[in-house]
Amino acid sequence: MTKDLSNVRNIGISAHIDSGKTTLTERILFYTDRIHSIHEVRGKDGVGATMDSMELEKERGITIQSAATYCTWDDHKINIIDTPGHVDFTIEVERALRVLDGAVLILCSVGGVQSQSITVNRQMDRYKVPRIAFINKCDRTGANPERVAGQLRDKLNQNAVMMQVPIGLEGNMLGVVDLVTMRALYYEGDNGEIIREDEIPAELQDECDAKREEMLDAASMFSDELMEAVLEGTPTPEMIIEAVRKGTIDLEMTPVFVGSAYKNKGVQAMLNAVVSYLPTPTEVENIALDLDKDEEEFAVSYDSDDKLVSLAFKLEEGRYGQLTYVRIYQGTMCKGDTIVNSRDGRKVKIGRLVRMHSNEMEDIDEACAGDIVALFGIDCASGDTFTSPDISVSMSSMHVPAPVISLSIKPVDNKTQVSMAKALNRFTKEDPTFRTYVDHETNESIICGMGELHLEVYIERMKREYNAEVEVGAPQVAYRETISQRSEFNYTHKKQTGGSGQFGRVAGYMEPIEEENYEFVDNIVGGSIPREFISSCDKGFQKGMAKGALAGAQVNGVRCVINDGAYHAVDSSDVAFQLASLGAFKEGYMKAKPMIMEPIMKVAVEGPTEFQGGIMGSINQRRGMIIGTTEEGNYTVVEAEVPLSEMFGYSTVLRSLTQGKAEFTMEFATYRPVPKGVSEEIIKKVKEDKEKK
Amino acid sequence: MLKQDLIAKNPLRILSQDAKGKEISQRMGLVMSRAGLGKTAILVQLALDSILNGKKIVHVSIDQSLDKTRVWYDDIFKDIVGAEHLENAAAVAAEIMQHRMIMTFKVSAFNRPRLEERLNDLVQQDIFRPECLIIDGFDFTKASREDLADLRELMEVMDLNIWFSAVSHREDERVSANGIPAPCHEVDDLFDTVMVIQPPAEKQNCNTLNVVKDTTGAVEVGTSLNIDPSSLVVQG
Repeated sequence: MTKDLSNVRNIGISAHIDSGKTTLTERILFYTDRIHSIHEVRGKDGVGATMDSMELEKERGITIQSAATYCTWDDHKINIIDTPGHVDFTIEVERALRVLDGAVLILCSVGGVQSQSITVNRQMDRYKVPRIAFINKCDRTGANPERVAGQLRDKLNQNAVMMQVPIGLEGNMLGVVDLVTMRALYYEGDNGEIIREDEIPAELQDECDAKREEMLDAASMFSDELMEAVLEGTPTPEMIIEAVRKGTIDLEMTPVFVGSAYKNKGVQAMLNAVVSYLPTPTEVENIALDLDKDEEEFAVSYDSDDKLVSLAFKLEEGRYGQLTYVRIYQGTMCKGDTIVNSRDGRKVKIGRLVRMHSNEMEDIDEACAGDIVALFGIDCASGDTFTSPDISVSMSSMHVPAPVISLSIKPVDNKTQVSMAKALNRFTKEDPTFRTYVDHETNESIICGMGELHLEVYIERMKREYNAEVEVGAPQVAYRETISQRSEFNYTHKKQTGGSGQFGRVAGYMEPIEEENYEFVDNIVGGSIPREFISSCDKGFQKGMAKGALAGAQVNGVRCVINDGAYHAVDSSDVAFQLASLGAFKEGYMKAKPMIMEPIMKVAVEGPTEFQGGIMGSINQRRGMIIGTTEEGNYTVVEAEVPLSEMFGYSTVLRSLTQGKAEFTMEFATYRPVPKGVSEEIIKKVKEDKEKK
Repeated sequence: MLKQDLIAKNPLRILSQDAKGKEISQRMGLVMSRAGLGKTAILVQLALDSILNGKKIVHVSIDQSLDKTRVWYDDIFKDIVGAEHLENAAAVAAEIMQHRMIMTFKVSAFNRPRLEERLNDLVQQDIFRPECLIIDGFDFTKASREDLADLRELMEVMDLNIWFSAVSHREDERVSANGIPAPCHEVDDLFDTVMVIQPPAEKQNCNTLNVVKDTTGAVEVGTSLNIDPSSLVVQG
């Protein structure tokens, strides 16, 4: 096992749905000898692409889960993390971005930068992932890589620099010209595996010269040596690669490559680019938290001889039990080692250590820093950190958004009940944005997530993988409540029913806060409430916060301050003060002008300009606030903020409105107060539902 | 501070009313300067004045992205509010969003029929009825007199205040009789109000916004306002 990390690349492949990501991955695996024949995503052979390991994905032709796979290219070890292409699976994308060091952004040469690419790009910016771009599908009618590179600059704010010029476009695409070496590369043979190097075709010479000039200009910003060499007219390929690499890793430049995965053009050159321009694990700083030193941050060492620090970033239900994908940041992981889960301190022994090649796996004895491998039979949750037993370290916690939508599900029979519970248990471990609980009032199981499609996919998976058929209720929006002004409370809880009674008085005020969800302040002086009951008051208020008086939704953004009270030597107790505080909360709450808040989604609808009027009308009807429109050729993007509750079924409406030519994405933006009329409706509905029960 | 104070605090308020104190409903206005002196910032302040007075505006950005335009509004709003505490800041911010719509066009795709079609989409469906139009990035060097006359007609048809920005160049010294620099020196009759941002003269340290033409009766020609050099906010 080599410990030199300069030949390791952990990369992600990220893209808009249908830009050919899975096809490209399939080609990479073929050229790196990991698979021996090529299957198409929607192939007629019925086998499907290797990376789409879940049946559902094969059927829908989309990739839901990020499977990690390993391959070697030019003496380099490359771990590829395939990332899902739909916004509803955001957490999957974000978790994948966390563990990878660089990414290939795939764009369609016809569709260009679409709303989804914008979202993915934003996520990559957040995790500071260096990237190269691959403009795919250059064989399609209407292919225009130049335009797409322009969009990378305008829409994604990338310093996109063409590193290649395509030889022919659409049906005539034969290969590419490499602007670094100024050689033409032709891809021949049944699967494009034979690369023939040749002179640049005469008709492309001028274009290539001009493009090379542009590329050298951009690259020489990152290397004085190259700049001098360019002035003297003697830049070497090594100098250029060095400079472009620096620009890419510093996130200052995005080299752009072209090709067509489906027609087997340009994939090998892109693999060379991964090796040449994307960072090695040690070139990216990763931060861990030292739990022994009050969560002090430190950069991981990448030293294989150091103590182990690794992150479990993905779980999968394999044929032989749970498969846990881990990224090792420092130290070495060996078969038979004992490691500790730093979340709960549990020790586990590594029974089997494997390297994943999509659906197949290879047993290995050890894996070192920088690697991505999988463990067998280890019970943990996604996002857990595993370390050597003698240190206590956690990789920084990940940003997990709160769910905005929920559904009730009911098993069709008793047998299903068991498998449904199993499935839910598994899904919640895999995906922190997917949550589940039982509503005690209705005894229904509720699942919550980030969007309609997100939940739909889990319901489908339940059916397919666990054979659990469930009845699904109507989707519910996760409302919240808050207060809008300060109010006083002074509540006495008194109960005398023989035996020892209950007594407690709690007084103070509550006020809105923005920074936090809940704050409890104890301003009691002179012991009007004894010390031992202060925490009871806190508990009582928290009970009040759990269920608001308007719609029974969780209350957010309240500071409860107590400054006076009274007690009774015999009758005061923990319970009495909890109930007194709960009463006080309710009393104060109604005076504090409570209001209902709803989740607002940031929606981007993209379609031909002729439909713009209709699209805007449809958003307006949904209480949407249009932020603006961007016209680009014959396409227009309408950006708006729309309440989630109004977005149910929007895809159908949009499809019929635009003859299926428009698409939309949405992402949670914020919570905002509900308008008065709507608020009254919600309260009325909650009341009716209660009466029904 | 209340919203009312914020409105009163805006020195550009004077531009919106004629000599008799009546709101000006139709006008073609122009803000000119050399590149980089803060034209967009002035346009955004004009827009915010309209918005805070309950008017709806459409901000047309030519060759600038929607996000960048949004950021201009957020930054200028923050700077206007300044260090003072604005009551109900969240509600005022929401109001600004509700009263503003941003449209971006490529320079080649912008003309009256296209703009009118977009605006009619909004008006006819009762989504948004703008009273003020900001057109930032209009290319006066390529536009003909007819193009502008066309837009002036649109102003009359739709009853609008339209504010343009235009870039002048140091080396181009042509000016109109009113003192309006190129490239607008030949179309100055189509504008009711023209303001020019000047770099600081001697002994001054800030740019000034100078009224060089006004036929609406709102301000006197020669009025000069200081512009804060760091925030680009016009000072009272």
